[in-house]
Amino acid sequence: MNPETAASLTRRRRFLHQTGLGFGGLALQAMLNRDGFGAVHPGGKPVFAPKAKSVIWLFMRGGVSHLESFDPKPALNVYAGKSISETPHASVLAPEKRKKVRVVVVNDANGQQRHKIYPLQIGYRKHGQSGIEVSDWFPQIGSCVDEIAVIRSMWTTDDNHGAQVQFHSGRHMLDPRVPTIGAWVNYGLGTLNENLPQFINIGPRFFDTRDGHYLGPAYDAVKLKIDPKNPLDYAAPERDFPAAEQRLGFGLMNRLNQINRALYPGDTALEARIKSYELAFRMQTAVPGVIDFSQETASTKTLYGFDQPETRSFAEQLLAARRFVEQGVRFIQIMHGDGAAGAWDQHSKLKENHAKLAMQVDRPIAGLLKDLKQRGLLEETMVVFGTEFGRTPGSQGADGRDHHPYGFSVWMAGGGIKGGITHGATDELGFHAVEHPHYVTDIHATLLHQLGLHAHHLEVPGHKRLEQDFGSVIHEILA
Amino acid sequence: MVRIGHGIGLLAWAAAQAVALAEVDYVRDIKPVLRERCVACHGALKQQAGLRIDTAAQLAAGGKNGPVAVAGQPEQSRLLARLASKDPEERMPLDAAPLLPEQIAAIREWIASGMIAPSDEQGEDDPRNHWAFQQIRRPALPDAATRETAIDAFLELKQAKLGLHVQPEAERGILMRRLYLDLTGLPPTVEQLQDARPYAEIVEELLRSPQHGERWARHWMDIWRYTDWYGLGAQLRNSQKHLWHWRDWIIESLVADKGYDRMIQEMLAGDELVPGDAGVVRATGYLARNYYLFNRTTWLDDTIEHTGKAFLGLTLNCAKCHDHKYDPIAMVDYYNFRAIFEPHQVRLDPVPGVIDFEKDGIPRVFDNHPNEPTHLHVRGDPAHPDKSVAIKPAVPSLFASFAPPIVPVSLPMSEWAPGSRDHVQRDHLAAARAKIQTALRELDASTSRWPPASAKPVKLLEAQVASARAELANLEAVIAADRAALTAPDAALVKTAARRGKEMRVAQTKLEVLTQELANDTKKLAAARKALAAAEKDLARNDSAYTPLQGTKKALETPEHNEKSYPAIYPSTSTGRRLMLARWITVRENPLTARVAVNHVWTRHFGEPLVETVFDFGRQAPRPEHQDLLDWLAAEFMDSGWSFRHLHRLIVNSAAYRRTSTNAGADPATLAADPTNRLHWRAFPRRMESQVIRDSLLSLAGALDPAVGGPPLPIDRESRRRGIYFVHSRDEEERLLSMFDNADILQCYRRSESVVPQHALAMANSALSLDMAEKIARRIQGTDRETFVGATFAQILGRAPNREERAACQAYCEELSALESVRSAPDSEVRIRARLVHALLNHNDFITIR
Repeated sequence: MNPETAASLTRRRRFLHQTGLGFGGLALQAMLNRDGFGAVHPGGKPVFAPKAKSVIWLFMRGGVSHLESFDPKPALNVYAGKSISETPHASVLAPEKRKKVRVVVVNDANGQQRHKIYPLQIGYRKHGQSGIEVSDWFPQIGSCVDEIAVIRSMWTTDDNHGAQVQFHSGRHMLDPRVPTIGAWVNYGLGTLNENLPQFINIGPRFFDTRDGHYLGPAYDAVKLKIDPKNPLDYAAPERDFPAAEQRLGFGLMNRLNQINRALYPGDTALEARIKSYELAFRMQTAVPGVIDFSQETASTKTLYGFDQPETRSFAEQLLAARRFVEQGVRFIQIMHGDGAAGAWDQHSKLKENHAKLAMQVDRPIAGLLKDLKQRGLLEETMVVFGTEFGRTPGSQGADGRDHHPYGFSVWMAGGGIKGGITHGATDELGFHAVEHPHYVTDIHATLLHQLGLHAHHLEVPGHKRLEQDFGSVIHEILA
Repeated sequence: MVRIGHGIGLLAWAAAQAVALAEVDYVRDIKPVLRERCVACHGALKQQAGLRIDTAAQLAAGGKNGPVAVAGQPEQSRLLARLASKDPEERMPLDAAPLLPEQIAAIREWIASGMIAPSDEQGEDDPRNHWAFQQIRRPALPDAATRETAIDAFLELKQAKLGLHVQPEAERGILMRRLYLDLTGLPPTVEQLQDARPYAEIVEELLRSPQHGERWARHWMDIWRYTDWYGLGAQLRNSQKHLWHWRDWIIESLVADKGYDRMIQEMLAGDELVPGDAGVVRATGYLARNYYLFNRTTWLDDTIEHTGKAFLGLTLNCAKCHDHKYDPIAMVDYYNFRAIFEPHQVRLDPVPGVIDFEKDGIPRVFDNHPNEPTHLHVRGDPAHPDKSVAIKPAVPSLFASFAPPIVPVSLPMSEWAPGSRDHVQRDHLAAARAKIQTALRELDASTSRWPPASAKPVKLLEAQVASARAELANLEAVIAADRAALTAPDAALVKTAARRGKEMRVAQTKLEVLTQELANDTKKLAAARKALAAAEKDLARNDSAYTPLQGTKKALETPEHNEKSYPAIYPSTSTGRRLMLARWITVRENPLTARVAVNHVWTRHFGEPLVETVFDFGRQAPRPEHQDLLDWLAAEFMDSGWSFRHLHRLIVNSAAYRRTSTNAGADPATLAADPTNRLHWRAFPRRMESQVIRDSLLSLAGALDPAVGGPPLPIDRESRRRGIYFVHSRDEEERLLSMFDNADILQCYRRSESVVPQHALAMANSALSLDMAEKIARRIQGTDRETFVGATFAQILGRAPNREERAACQAYCEELSALESVRSAPDSEVRIRARLVHALLNHNDFITIR
């Protein structure tokens, strides 16, 4: 390829990447097809047959205790009160096993290992046909365990809340910022519904407010609120503007831009802008429509937990997620837990606060899984339950656990994920991921694989990705 | 039997392969894989084991350990063995993912089939010969030049070769709008649109306006990563407070047309270039921006990466963990570069009249630790520094031949002992005296009146006065001792200062005890009593250590430090390393600096860069089509004293810049020969940046506040100032600006120009566009609608409406006036006109720089 062609290709590609993808790739799709650019951009269609169409990404900000959710460790009750080095498992503390962690704040009050073993603060029971044990803080999710693959062998490298970003991007807080998994999905896949944004964030965001980074702001998640009057920024006029007048206004804008075509023939940005106005006009009604729950039955609402004040807020978000999935939205990122560090951060009062937080999410999540299942959507929708890291086997203060990046649990369900299994394991104390350890990007790779994308195909010129950024597909959990 | 069978099997295998082999093509299947995965270590850049495989002939020749592949003998190939090895220590490429099985299979087939390759295959050129690494020589202007400017002469030559016919100049209104938006970021007013003066004269006027400084400062702030401070809550973690001093320096420098060479020198080493000149030193906010509380390596990595990309178009960051894979930059070059920055730290210098650094202060850098060693981090891991070798400060060795020497710089006392500055002492004394006056007034108000004005007991008010007086006494003694210490140390003065300090502490703690007694907080009271006892005990001790006056506030080197405990006196010599770097970047021999800058300016006028990879001029950047033009402009830029004003003038006066951006009426042969317009036979339309959109709305409405400079504006306030002045950080970003591809504070060498429906929603629904539409409508003259439509088109789009457009607008107005909501409005005509303006603000050519 001669340099001129390469340069004009780059130029064209740059334009196409910036056009329409953030919300709906219709203009892009048309142009890709017309110009035969499909091979250049992965965009628009999966490279192999997808199992899943959409992702609901649930992220518990802070760190959910793996020990008191999905990874039972009776040994902690046996050795309660002892120091780790007094147990037969003292070797978990060996420095060479702990060197993968990169400390951001030296001698920070949090993010330390805690040596005095803290017993389990909640019991476990077996659920479903698989008999997988889930803690009694998550009984409803437990009731869906036959749909779920629990991965008990996650690890990450940040012992502090930079892990929020890391779980989404695969990069440590001290590394350069790179696109998050949602941005890559948005980049790699075309839209299924031109009237809706393809990548949505609901709930309090993590540190970084951007997702696209070097892919560009068009790949950032669109912030959405469960408020039919004002679900997106600028979704409704901020001044009095009767609908009939607005409709006429859109008509004139469209007409004038159409006339402009004759003055500027072949102007691709103009073509894209005309499309974008058509989409925007439709989106104004489409988005509020999705979060208008008036057509949902009482039993559906109850299933999610609309009837309880503790669960209501998250229930609304998850019901909205299902409705977005039905409408073909690709990636819905839902964040739970307020505050800079995230609510799931029990350095103290673990029992009281984990119980409270678990109650807020348990029924809505189970409701979502059941609802997706009964509508036949679970097969093509992947639900991911993630968090920053686990919590220490030892106690922090009298009644808390500290951050624990060496081993923790996440789970996935739907979208061709095998249900009713556990994968990987931590050691007896729940300290290190010892069997099938997985770095956070393995979740990304698995998710992309189910969407029909190959992680290695997602790369743009000038921004070399590292092997670890791509992750590896966890084949064992695929159905 | 076995043997024969085997033979037959082999034949069958060979026959099967013959079919497959025919399909393997070296150029299509093999060479791209080798280039992507192998050639960084076995090509022109490096020849590990003496082996090059950037051509098939070299691959066949093998390395110093003999051949790696022989045609027809894949089984003996060491190349294949190493590619397919299961041992990660053995497997090529080292420390990287293995080749895909199908890639290895293709190489196997290619070897088996005889390693066929084109006979005229060229190997990689010597990396040092890369076009951008050659010194900039001014190319001769092409003979054929009949056009008015040099830019056109270069372009015309190539256009003529392809037989292209260029488009005519854009109509005056469109051109004026383009010029105003490009040079000032604001659309022309009606009067400016009708300005009949010659174009070039208007250009000169705009280039000297403060609005030009603001417009182009924002471009450079993108590239130089301007961000206001952010952190967690009140804790500053990134950048610095009051960084706007640097932003104002950028604006002022551009308005004054300071040379770009000088700007770089001031930003990297203003403290060494003109030590003591606050107006210059504030430029080092460029470096202070990279401050990061938690990790010095991350901080310096950012400094190195973006200094390399912004000024040099070099991706030095790719050499942090290993030698650069594409460019002749070794890992040690990276650490040499780091050593240049190793001694520097960040501090806030006081602004005359302000002693509270929360209120104001000038963020700047200075060499704090001149002897801090630099070590290479093995595999880029800061936990594994190679302490066996001390890394010296140096520029990348590829370009070291023209590096000036490092000359240490002696600093004036005001720099290394900032507490000695007159204004600092004066301001502190004034504050101490004011505190006494306040305390006295409060005491007086309480004792001279009944009932007393204050709820505080007299005893406490008296203690307040005593404490304030003790503070002043201490300050005076400290200043006296400090002054002596800098000239002729005086033991008696030191002793006095120590004594006054102790007395002050006693007075302060006495006050604290009384305050806590009043507050009835037992815990705090106990602590205050303990502190008082300690202060009294200390007073009895006869030592002579005093705390000098801290004139500045040094940023924490790590969160464990305490600002108050940092010494008041800094090193009196700066290493001169950064000044050496700045001079090397701006020396004429440097092949990169001027090219990179010219490319940035060109991109922002034409919409398309001359070199597509604007931050990477290394070997990943192919020789640009218009290298002659780039080099001519770069040479001219340097010869003009690195004058941006001159560069802008050259560009906007060119015929290429002034052309219409439409294809309409274009010669069909031209359109067919150069459909992507790489030869600039027409102009490229561009989308406005976020700030330009907002500023234009305000400006057209006559609502823009033209004030220049000053502290950033809080976002929650309804401001009418230009968008450049809003707080912009990781955590805070003005909402409307954020909608339109605003600058990412982490890296923004070029803004995106996305087209997404959110933009349509923001333009259609934002309070700003609705409010401004009404204001604009009221400003536009026109007694009848017909005139109004014409004037609105002219004002908003820079051109007159055509017949169809007039008809559409008329029809719209009529339909609108038929609506009940409009009919019943008290001023329906105003409303109709406001709606019409609003529709035009949503026209493609409003948001577009035509």
